[in-house]
Amino acid sequence: MLKTRVIPILTFNGIGLVKTKQFSNPRMVGNPVQAARVYNQRGVDELVFIDIYASEQNRKINLKLVSEVIKECYMPVAIGGGISTIDDITNLLKIGADKVVIKTKALTDPDFIKKAVSIFGSQCITISVDAIAHHNNYKIYNRQGIDLSLNEFTNSMMACEVGELIVNSVDNDGMMNGYNFELINTVLKNTNLPVIAVGGGGEMAHYKQLMTETKIEAVGSSSIFHFTQFTPRDIKNELKQINVPVRL
Amino acid sequence: MVAIIDYGLGNLASVQKALSFLKIDNKITANHDEIKNSDFILLPGVGSFAHGMQNLKEKGLDVLLTDEVIGKKKKFLGICLGMQLIAETGTEPFVSPGLGWIKGTVNKIETTNLRIPHMGWNTIETVNQSYLTEFNQKDFYFIHSYHFVPDNQRMIAAYVNYETNLVAAIQHDNIFATQFHPEKSQTAGLALLKHYFESC
Repeated sequence: MLKTRVIPILTFNGIGLVKTKQFSNPRMVGNPVQAARVYNQRGVDELVFIDIYASEQNRKINLKLVSEVIKECYMPVAIGGGISTIDDITNLLKIGADKVVIKTKALTDPDFIKKAVSIFGSQCITISVDAIAHHNNYKIYNRQGIDLSLNEFTNSMMACEVGELIVNSVDNDGMMNGYNFELINTVLKNTNLPVIAVGGGGEMAHYKQLMTETKIEAVGSSSIFHFTQFTPRDIKNELKQINVPVRL
Repeated sequence: MVAIIDYGLGNLASVQKALSFLKIDNKITANHDEIKNSDFILLPGVGSFAHGMQNLKEKGLDVLLTDEVIGKKKKFLGICLGMQLIAETGTEPFVSPGLGWIKGTVNKIETTNLRIPHMGWNTIETVNQSYLTEFNQKDFYFIHSYHFVPDNQRMIAAYVNYETNLVAAIQHDNIFATQFHPEKSQTAGLALLKHYFESC
């Protein structure tokens, strides 16, 4: 039986790991290589590492650092941040990334995504969907001034045959007050792709609620691992109690 | 020495990292002499079937690998696309011939309720005697939208259930291949690779 994945999300600012609240106020939370080592020892299902300021600051991701992060990992790793060329993807795969996570380029140039899928395969291309509530609906949050609804964006990415969506609620990001079930259900209803739900996990009850309120099969989290004593394994133990299939 | 075949597709670095961790002598290569002199051939790969075959052909590797594996019976380990490419026929994105070492077709996974790609950790169920036998009911990492349907069921080493039973591994003579990624499957995956290379 397919196991529900619990995935630590590491967000990076070019210097160290940071954690935002509602995509603002980044707070330094540590060293990425050390974090990757700990998560590997803990046997996490997968790891996501994103340089969240690379596109905005017009930087390329630091390949040397990413390579050191990946070296610690014997589980699948997805890497994102500032990816805008085929070479960027090739370079990440060469140092051992299994998937790449793309957002800004997907918003500005869907044809690039189509091309990337044709070269690297669907399974390699994960799209970050950052949704923010807007007039009883959701828009895609971005700093490029692109006006796109959630469904328009996910439809366009499905047409490109991407492999997976990371759906992050901007409103819930870093608030540790629970997941946005409505957002997750909206996306799950609209697509047949695997989805990782992100944004809002802060205590054990939130993960149980997410599993009972939605049919999600992968959950990403960050704050809870940085700011509480809970580990991915604690979450999986908790989920097992309500018969969610997990890998322990 | 294990020759990790470099045909411009796939996660070569991950495979090499796992073998090096296990202290198994290996080299990423497309060099024909190096491949001929190797003890094992490892064909990794992620990407589309047709693209994979095209890349093998461009480097003359389709003929060379067939000589080595079918002609000289060299030990072969295929992973993910590297397992699918040994089939007679692929369908991704269009019908095209594979290496043809194992009779059968690689088809798109069809489900009514479950999401495609089949992505994440899933339990394998072993059948027939194989390198995998002692790994029955272990979880491995899968990431694929297509699956190999071999004609001869006796070659199937393990299934994985995803609404229906999909082939998770194949073993026949000197050929062993997994749809899942042992190199990304942490403890279980590293244990499988160690077991395979030690028992060969």
